[in-house]
Amino acid sequence: MTNTKLIVSHAPFWHNGDSLFQQNLNFFIALLPAALFGIFHFGAPALGVLALATSSAMLWEVIMSVLSKKKMAIADMDSAIIGLLFGMMVPATMPWWVVITGTFIAVVLGKFVFGGTGANPFHPTLVGIAILTMSWPAFLDFDTAYVSYQFDFTALAPLAALKAQGTYALASFSNYDLLMGNEVGGIGSTFGLGIIIGGIYLILKGYARWEIVASFIAGVLITATLFFVLHPDTYAPPLFHLLSGYTLIGAFFLAVENSSSPVNRIPMLIYGFLGGLMIILVRNIGIYPDGTVLAILLINLVNPLIDTIRPKALGKGVPNA
Amino acid sequence: MIKRSFFALSKPRLTYDLLDTSLPSAEELAIPGTLTLLLPEKIDRAKKALIGPGDAVKKGQKLKLYDDSAPYVLSPAAGTIKEFDSYADDFGSTATYITIKPDPSAKDDDQWAQTNLEQTLEFAADYLGHIPGALPVSTLTNPNYDIRTIVVTGADTDILCDTCQFVCTAYAGLMVAGAKILKAMTRADRMCITVPEKLSAQVNLDGFNVLKTSDTYPSNLPAMIMKDHFGKALSPGTLPEEEGVCFIRPEALVSLARTYETGHAVFDKIITLIDKGGQRHRVKATIGTPISKILSCFNVQINEQDRVIIGGPMRGFATYTVHHPVVPDMDTLMVQDSDVIPEISDNACVNCGECVRVCPANVPVNLLVRYLEANLYEEAADRFDLESCIECGLCGYVCRAGIPLYQYIRLGKHELLTLRENA
Repeated sequence: MTNTKLIVSHAPFWHNGDSLFQQNLNFFIALLPAALFGIFHFGAPALGVLALATSSAMLWEVIMSVLSKKKMAIADMDSAIIGLLFGMMVPATMPWWVVITGTFIAVVLGKFVFGGTGANPFHPTLVGIAILTMSWPAFLDFDTAYVSYQFDFTALAPLAALKAQGTYALASFSNYDLLMGNEVGGIGSTFGLGIIIGGIYLILKGYARWEIVASFIAGVLITATLFFVLHPDTYAPPLFHLLSGYTLIGAFFLAVENSSSPVNRIPMLIYGFLGGLMIILVRNIGIYPDGTVLAILLINLVNPLIDTIRPKALGKGVPNA
Repeated sequence: MIKRSFFALSKPRLTYDLLDTSLPSAEELAIPGTLTLLLPEKIDRAKKALIGPGDAVKKGQKLKLYDDSAPYVLSPAAGTIKEFDSYADDFGSTATYITIKPDPSAKDDDQWAQTNLEQTLEFAADYLGHIPGALPVSTLTNPNYDIRTIVVTGADTDILCDTCQFVCTAYAGLMVAGAKILKAMTRADRMCITVPEKLSAQVNLDGFNVLKTSDTYPSNLPAMIMKDHFGKALSPGTLPEEEGVCFIRPEALVSLARTYETGHAVFDKIITLIDKGGQRHRVKATIGTPISKILSCFNVQINEQDRVIIGGPMRGFATYTVHHPVVPDMDTLMVQDSDVIPEISDNACVNCGECVRVCPANVPVNLLVRYLEANLYEEAADRFDLESCIECGLCGYVCRAGIPLYQYIRLGKHELLTLRENA
């Protein structure tokens, strides 16, 4: 062993084995129940959209890595999750070119222009969805998307119906149906139970922070309750808001995205609550039927500001003779 | 290696190991064919050296490079100087390797026999700076510090290590005697010893103020002892010495007692070797023995791209050569197989916040590392608490992106000091 070449590096020499791949793999596993339900519910077109969204997102990542001469990080599955989430939020009948444009906006404009993984100030998927909502609202209209389908439940997007018809539209949606996915909506965002199970798995695994999820849901429920108690004729009950639209997927999977959410405890609570509050404000007072996308983009925006609320470091601010 | 648990809702918890009582007492290693001494001064070709290759040295002889140099080493055996070589550590500070060929036939012409062993700090600074356990004489004699409390680290500071606990239990009598000598030398009026609260071995620690420490890493680190037991959270950038507290290895006290008891300098250092399978071996080796001798003594095979770590898994340093010698402050040797070495990456921070939640000093590591990567050391210190770091390494241990966070922080502190010195 006279001149054996040894590995030299800096401490610590142990690692807990966590990696970005593990994180994204767990996101993938957690998203599966809701995604599989979507395929089962909306048929082969849903599978097509999910597959196209995931693969095109990964392709954009490859192209951008080559163009920007960055290390190829496709194996971390970061873009795959962005694409999958995108696919889960759009209707099963979305044309292929809209899907590809959407993932282009998500991966390239949402992530790469800011410097890649970890540098995005907003959730990339939401950037894609938001721009599509502005540019081609027709393709994200769940009522027209599913006209050729035959469902054994009310084939009306719950939030759009609420916006258009007021509270008496609520009679056709039971909380149980909303929870079990008997509603029209994004491929993977209708099956509330699946999202909740996947989300709790992610929290237990430590990849989603419970503070954000809990305060987000609390924000939705508390704000909606306030509206509902004051004007029960005008506003929907809190559980309806929680179970319809993107609320659950937003709470469990979108608001917790690492790069665009706070890391300290109090900021996480404020961040989540603010998100829930904004959703209800947009839905009840704003013009959009579902405010989740805008609400989360807004809290992404204030994240750096509120994340400055942090505990004092050791020895700082302590009178020390 | 402790991995992330399946459910990871709470932050990870690393625990200190208790004394491994299954081991037989330390195995004594004979003086090898060559000894290498590490002298913390770099070779200056412009100056005339006091010693050179071919010179005969006596056992216990004080070796200095130049007339005006302060650092010295003591030769652990009689013999001849073979060669000089230079050595550079993690941060590029250079030192000198002095290779000595011991001569077993040489008479033990110990110059210490003529020395009157005074119990003074001046004598200690002159002759005892190199005893096993590394008595921190430069701290004790520094006129800027008023050391009133001495804390003996009976509880090892890094996980896996148990050398200090072993020394405390096996040589308790000598340690107590050494503590009396040290107390007589210094102005310290309080002797404390940290002991793991779960340690079952009963030791008579007469004259010590016992501080029971928890088994959760990093509660044995000096900064945490200061905070938890003395109620003084060190303000950023200050050392425990500036608060009048000096941390000392138990082995330094044992060596001190043995030196005064025998009238001779002592050179055998107790080291725990942790092999690739996590098995511990205890060895008593002469200072200057190459690490390779210890490894071959226990049949630890070193292959290409393995890692040899001096110290523990969280705070040690990796050596680039197995010829590195045993030095007075080397407590633990750890060998890692190339298969289990975790990869580090040049990924950017993804802001997952694991480091922030695990940090015992509440340092915003996620923001700090962005500034350190951009070489903005002063901003890092002013705004993101660079100097509050207690150097436990937990941030690097949990980093999901595999960023060498602890390395960035150590480098940042080093660069900050350099900047301030040059200012």
